[in-house]
Amino acid sequence: MINTVRATVLSIANKNNYGYITPSDFNLYAKQAQLDIFEDYFYQYNSWIIKQNARVSGSEYADILKGLVEVIDSFSETRGLTTPGINLYNLPENYYLINKINYYPNAIFSSTTTAGGVNTLTDANATFVATGTVLPGQFVTNTTLTSVSSGFGAYVVSVDSETQLTLSNNPFGSAATVGNSYTIVSTTGIKEIERVSQNKIFYLNSSPLTSPNITYPAYVLGGGNSVSTGNTITVYPDTIIGSGKVLSQYIRYPLDPNWTYSSLAGGEPVFDEGAADYQDFELPDSDEPNLVNKILQYAGVSIRENDIAVFGNMQEQEDNQQQS
Amino acid sequence: MSYITDYQYYENEGTNPTNSNWGSYQFVSLDDIVTNFMLMYVGNDKLINNVEKYNILFHAKRGIQELNYDAMKEIKILELSVCDQLRYVLPPDYVNWVRVSIYQNGVLMPLTENIQTNWSSSYLQDNDCKILFDEFGNILKPENSTIDMDRISGSKKSLYLNSNSSQDGNMGYNVDGAWFFDYSVGQRYGLNTETANSNPTFKINKASGVINFSSGVSDKLVILEYVSDGMENGVDSEINLNKLFEDFIYAYIKYAILTSKYGVQEYIINRAKKEKTALLRNAKIRLSNIHPGRLLMNLRGQDKWLK
Repeated sequence: MINTVRATVLSIANKNNYGYITPSDFNLYAKQAQLDIFEDYFYQYNSWIIKQNARVSGSEYADILKGLVEVIDSFSETRGLTTPGINLYNLPENYYLINKINYYPNAIFSSTTTAGGVNTLTDANATFVATGTVLPGQFVTNTTLTSVSSGFGAYVVSVDSETQLTLSNNPFGSAATVGNSYTIVSTTGIKEIERVSQNKIFYLNSSPLTSPNITYPAYVLGGGNSVSTGNTITVYPDTIIGSGKVLSQYIRYPLDPNWTYSSLAGGEPVFDEGAADYQDFELPDSDEPNLVNKILQYAGVSIRENDIAVFGNMQEQEDNQQQS
Repeated sequence: MSYITDYQYYENEGTNPTNSNWGSYQFVSLDDIVTNFMLMYVGNDKLINNVEKYNILFHAKRGIQELNYDAMKEIKILELSVCDQLRYVLPPDYVNWVRVSIYQNGVLMPLTENIQTNWSSSYLQDNDCKILFDEFGNILKPENSTIDMDRISGSKKSLYLNSNSSQDGNMGYNVDGAWFFDYSVGQRYGLNTETANSNPTFKINKASGVINFSSGVSDKLVILEYVSDGMENGVDSEINLNKLFEDFIYAYIKYAILTSKYGVQEYIINRAKKEKTALLRNAKIRLSNIHPGRLLMNLRGQDKWLK
């Protein structure tokens, strides 16, 4: 989609080569536009819930809320949280909104990988078959704190041999597949860890009826620490420790779009979809007009063309009116 | 809780304790109550939204406690031997007593609660009745008060018609073949039924957490029937509720949350209140097990002649 968006933007803005937008500028505007629209989904979601409760929203094809939820859910990720050893866990660095944090009390196996491989886990010291406790459907988390893939997880697809598992994807990354510590947890008996504000956690811990326990754990959000630049959480009761046993389902930020090119032809960069750092927009195709309008607004300001900025703004308002 | 197989029910799949699932189908667990409530009563299109789970947990537990106090009749029974201190320490989950009995000679004999006190705390005093203090200014207290010592030693008299009665063993005099006793002449005719009990008596010291008995209970087995609050010593995973009260507990939680939430219309709160009250009544009727067979047994005595 990113190429058609760029082509449309240039077609509107680049009259007589006056409004040319360089690829790097376009990528900057594209990122801003995507973030703007992404965040708007959450406000729209709230707005449509109010409309639905006021019975001014329909069902089936008129169920606007369903479409919004689908888009938001497409940014959902589940990742294991790593810990330096106590009940303090590091949140993923790319989260926009933490939706659920769950506690998986039944850890099945923990060890270190001894060989690489795509979508596989190889551990020469393991006895996956003999123990009989590692089963398809269980969840594997990369618990290496220093790994770039720390916290990444995958489901066990099959137990291939005593020392090898096939996984649903590769939680150890493509480069560092050897020497990664991992934990396998059962997906039964999961307990949701409830978020509690810093103001309430003292009272919650002091209350005999609601103090956090293994059945009803709780967490508070804290700041970064020496290990994590992002946020951390403190889980209660403080007996909940160990990486790979606390997993987070969250909505991540969309990846930064990157329109890549390989060479110049006639002074024009040639689009290269195969570049390693190529990244398309992650929003649905239906958002293409919105993206064009947003980028036009940024571009219009950039090249001091009021007409373009006004056009983009007007189009966006028109769209908003139709959708509300 | 998901359904279990017959083998799981009867034998717990061979895992000890094998009887842990017996009768489990009567109950719904606290975890299920909270989960079901979150699923069915909380949401953007429901009366309740933006509520923390610990709120629901709190009200669910409070509801279960209230039911345990009076409606559920979940009586717990504990047998303990009472030694020469004549003291029965209340169980850790005790909330209120239902009946205290002694078990002797194969017979369960319910005891009567003493309408007078049979225990007291005490301060040490000098000959001028002045209270004595230690060097920190605290009052000095004896281990036992006089009334306690008398009770334990068996010298305390009782107003009940048992072996500790002040008249027990008193000599009377015989006139024309009839025995008379000074104290009881003309008085036993108006027998005070409240104190006409030959068994030992007890009094509960709630603050100290003990039942104090009169002297006849020494070395006897005492059986305490009591009610708890259903909190299972704080183990949430063991807390459960009879299914007959399941609908009520949802209504209770709903009402408790709505009534404490800002901006909820009064008619909605009233609706929730009525629902809660009606469901409690329904559940009590169900639990009372009134059915024709039982009524028939009771009514069979209606034509009995009283002599």
